[in-house]
Amino acid sequence: MTDLSTNANAGQPKASLLAADARTMRRNKAEARFRAYGLGAVIVALLALAMLLISIFGNGLSAFTQTRVHLPVTIAEAIVDKKGTRDPEVMKKVTTIGYGKLIKAAMVDLIAKEGIVIEGLSDKDAEAIISKEAAATLRDEVLANPDLIGQTVTFDLLANGRIDGYFKGRVSMESAELDSNVSPAQLHLADALKDKGYLSKTFNLDFITAPDASDQRPEAAGLGVAILGSVYMMLVVLLLAPPIGVAASIYLEEFAPKNKFTDLIEVNIANLAAVPSIVFGILGLAIFINFAGLPQSAPIVGGLVLTLMTLPRVIIPARAALKAVPPSIRDAALGVGASKMQSVFHHVLPLAAPGILTGLIIGLAQALGETAPLLLIGMVAFVREYPGAPFDGLFDPASALPVQVYNWTQRADPAFVERASGAIIVLLAFLVVMNTLAIILRRRFERRW
Amino acid sequence: MNDMRLEQAVTSEEIKIAARDVQVFYGDTHAIKDVGIDILDKTVTAFIGPSGCGKSTFLRTLNRMNDTIDVCRVEGSITLDGEDIYDKRVDPVQLRARVGMVFQKPNPFPKSIYDNVAYGPKIHGLTRSKAELDEIVESSLRKAALWNEVKDRLHAPGTGLSGGQQQRLCIARAVATSPEVLLMDEPCSALDPIATAQVEELIDELRAQFSVVIVTHSMQQAARVSQRTAFFHLGNLVEFGETSQIFTNPTDPRTESYITGRIG
Repeated sequence: MTDLSTNANAGQPKASLLAADARTMRRNKAEARFRAYGLGAVIVALLALAMLLISIFGNGLSAFTQTRVHLPVTIAEAIVDKKGTRDPEVMKKVTTIGYGKLIKAAMVDLIAKEGIVIEGLSDKDAEAIISKEAAATLRDEVLANPDLIGQTVTFDLLANGRIDGYFKGRVSMESAELDSNVSPAQLHLADALKDKGYLSKTFNLDFITAPDASDQRPEAAGLGVAILGSVYMMLVVLLLAPPIGVAASIYLEEFAPKNKFTDLIEVNIANLAAVPSIVFGILGLAIFINFAGLPQSAPIVGGLVLTLMTLPRVIIPARAALKAVPPSIRDAALGVGASKMQSVFHHVLPLAAPGILTGLIIGLAQALGETAPLLLIGMVAFVREYPGAPFDGLFDPASALPVQVYNWTQRADPAFVERASGAIIVLLAFLVVMNTLAIILRRRFERRW
Repeated sequence: MNDMRLEQAVTSEEIKIAARDVQVFYGDTHAIKDVGIDILDKTVTAFIGPSGCGKSTFLRTLNRMNDTIDVCRVEGSITLDGEDIYDKRVDPVQLRARVGMVFQKPNPFPKSIYDNVAYGPKIHGLTRSKAELDEIVESSLRKAALWNEVKDRLHAPGTGLSGGQQQRLCIARAVATSPEVLLMDEPCSALDPIATAQVEELIDELRAQFSVVIVTHSMQQAARVSQRTAFFHLGNLVEFGETSQIFTNPTDPRTESYITGRIG
């Protein structure tokens, strides 16, 4: 090299190393520009991520707390069990309307007892600061425990969504003036109850465990059914996608002859990975529901559709990982007399495992967040019943986390904004757990060679 | 050329592998033409020749490693102890257990030293107990002159050894299945002179038990370790005979040109 450069510069005066020449400076500037672009791109991406997280957590964290009224309710025998049989079958005839009367009476009593005086507050308004869900809660409690009849028991009842919104800053006195659903008088009552210790904001476990609720009672809506549905679907995907995907990639990469037919399969797999997910929904609707006769809205169908969608996304990285194993390892195994299968399973597969696992987890994470195909197979339905235990429960109707987010964003009540963001937080938490698992598994399988 | 030891004599006349009219094709390329050669038992046979002359290709036909290449086709006959190894009934897996191979680049499995050596005996079911397996591992590592260096860390990864140690580990791995023939494809090309000397010494010791076929670029190495030498050129076997005769009195002018450095 030294010969070469001296020859090239022959006849020219020797340049000083202390001053960079024009060409070097241009190259250095180009490099500096490129670094700036890269840094800029990273900063933009980080800002976008930060904004996303701030907006989601800002909106959604409040879903994990809920305003509750601690109301002493006298369970009057005259209303809930007129005949005094204490027989749950007989008591079931009393509907939530009857229990609503108990709550109304309890509320009026409490206001009188505490001497709260608020102008323009009717008894009906006073009752309305409690959620419509509360009567059902009360009824379930009493039916489960008839001994409560005749006693005065303090229940933690959900406050109405607007009252909850008032304590979370969503509703103000000014907005209440214009709102037909809530009046300033009700807000004053809520404030008074809070001062006396009858009303507080507590951690809301129901958001994770309760089923969805109707448009009118956002305060009662929870993710229980959606989480179960998503978990069941992931179970189906986890049982089907890894074995089929890994077996297919091993066969195609290590055993299949290279001919026109396998080329065709290869091209098709690559194309399938790019097929819009909603197309898989139509496929699932046609094959699993219309042809195979599986029930609508069932996690088994969702899981099967997501498996079909995930397979190409598992096979492609798995094949790349198998291809990346040095051929010398295969030679070494064959050289000591291992069969093709022994060489693959004893040596190639363990080395490819980290890459295969990464693809698998990314595929599963995508499947977890997929919404479009599920809409087409009926998982967008309003489901309040929990699906049963596996494996029968796989055939019961259920919802799914991303579909629940989509569903809640469609609803009119502003309280559902908070719910939807909260559901996204839960979805993100699932993804973080899955990715952490992936990293741990990778670390375990990673080997040097 | 002063370090050549040409006094080594062939001690066995028993033919282990006999190749007749072997042709190898890679697709349309005729890589090996009409090669006929007798590999003797308990003898080191060296294949020399310029790059791309087909010596490695021919070596890989001897244990059917070429089978893994789709486009590769072999014609002619190659027999091991009188049995045609390209017969339809031959399982290449069984063949490779009897004809072991050591590759150009050290390629230990990413497992412990012990597991590397024990892998062959394990998959062939050569041992009945852990003690027997331990014995095979120890004796194989001793044969490969590696035992003293690794006996205290048998469960350390094989990939953590130095290059020369890794190559000797690969030799121990090949020896552990008790093959009858050991094929070595330029086993010293990635090694430094000291490791090379160790491996060469090893090859000389292995000759007592196996027939060894070694492909090498280094004529000095061929002269040092082999009793018989075959010179390949452009897919043809130009000359095959006693090493001393090939290096001192070659009959073919091409052999002489190669040995004196005029082609290659």
